[in-house]
Amino acid sequence: MKKDPLQPTQSLLAAAFLAGLALIFFWVPTESFQGVSQRILYVHAPSAWVAYLAFGVVLACSVAYLKTSEARWDWVAHASARVGVLFTGITLITGAMWGRPIWGAFWAWDPRLTLTLVLFLIYLGYLAFRASASDETRGARIAAVIGIAGFMVVPLVHFSVDWWRGQHPSRTVIRPEDSAALPSEMQMVLVTMFAVFTLLYLVLLALGVRLLKLENDVVELEADFLEKTVITPRPAG
Amino acid sequence: MRTVLAIAAKDLRGESRARQIAPVMLVFALCLVFLLTFALPPGALRAPVPVPVAGALPARDITGLLLWTSIFFAAVIGFGRSAAADREGSAGDGLLLAPVDPAALYAGKLIANSGFLLATQLVAIPLFMLFANIAPGALFPGILPVMLVASLGMAAVGTLFGAATQHAEARSLMLPLLTFPLTLPVILGASKLTSTLLIENRFGNEFRWFILLSVFDVVFLTLGAVTFEFVIEE
Repeated sequence: MKKDPLQPTQSLLAAAFLAGLALIFFWVPTESFQGVSQRILYVHAPSAWVAYLAFGVVLACSVAYLKTSEARWDWVAHASARVGVLFTGITLITGAMWGRPIWGAFWAWDPRLTLTLVLFLIYLGYLAFRASASDETRGARIAAVIGIAGFMVVPLVHFSVDWWRGQHPSRTVIRPEDSAALPSEMQMVLVTMFAVFTLLYLVLLALGVRLLKLENDVVELEADFLEKTVITPRPAG
Repeated sequence: MRTVLAIAAKDLRGESRARQIAPVMLVFALCLVFLLTFALPPGALRAPVPVPVAGALPARDITGLLLWTSIFFAAVIGFGRSAAADREGSAGDGLLLAPVDPAALYAGKLIANSGFLLATQLVAIPLFMLFANIAPGALFPGILPVMLVASLGMAAVGTLFGAATQHAEARSLMLPLLTFPLTLPVILGASKLTSTLLIENRFGNEFRWFILLSVFDVVFLTLGAVTFEFVIEE
């Protein structure tokens, strides 16, 4: 059995994640206004970061794929989109969990929330398209176009959702992301969790790419096998 | 440029004979507009703006959104039909074989699609105004530039993804799924401009949406022209 090169990184990630959780639950002081619910920030903000990072990687790899037609760029883009959608979902859910006790509502049509939701929809569409594309190469090329369009529309969606309710006071809500105002222990935990989540992203990305490569290998082996079975003439009996 | 016009002419001529895109878009838009205006209290869209109750929107504020969501869904149907017509009639194969720059192909189809969309709006918007008891002078001619930038933006996305989804298994589902979040800035912008025009009789502060929509058009026209070859390539 070959040794898995990802194994040490995974062990490191597991240790770092547990340490991070310990910091969040036992070490960092409780925020005086929001109480214990503020602690979700240490998962929420890093998830949002990973989501944006992942979609940025989708953009870069989609461009690289269209330029080079090398399948590995497509695998990275595809795997990154999966991780990105997962973490956008985590961002939305943890945000709603925080919003309920603090804002009194699970959801507010705040521009940043709306933008995150639109991103979620765009990349869900990306994944849905990949699942329904009938031709692998063609599907990959078109998915790359979606990946590029999806990221390019972000600033435009940002302005439009910001302006749409421009007169409403939603933006004066105190935001947990205003980390400049956070005490130093909180900042430290936040920075730690950003690092842990980035590592988590990289591991999930590596596993995702490996999975796609294996799927591709299986398809190629099958095609190879079928070709040989059809072409080889039967020995005359 | 001649290629572009030739392709646009081909799509428009095909439509003038088959008539399976613009009429369908129009009927669909009218059904939606009818349903949405019917559901509102009588005269709600015409009534003067009431003193704003905290958190409540005056009914006329939603006029633009009613109109443009209807147009958006009609547009998606049209883009799907227009791309499917090429696939079914094998004209798409012929265009692929022809020594034509994919960007020109995109531009030609874009002109045709924008044309269908504008034609639909030119009938649907006056009928909407009739249903909603809006005086003709309240929206025309101010809404014309809104129609133009919005149609171009929707068609820029729709032409690209109409062709892109032709080879997906659930193509009639994939097209709206992809188009809706991407065209959200266009739907919001056109709605805001229309409502503002109706309420204030001018664009005023909301004129900035024209800039946003123009940027959107430029971004997606460029993207479409550059990436169309990857979308249609076999």
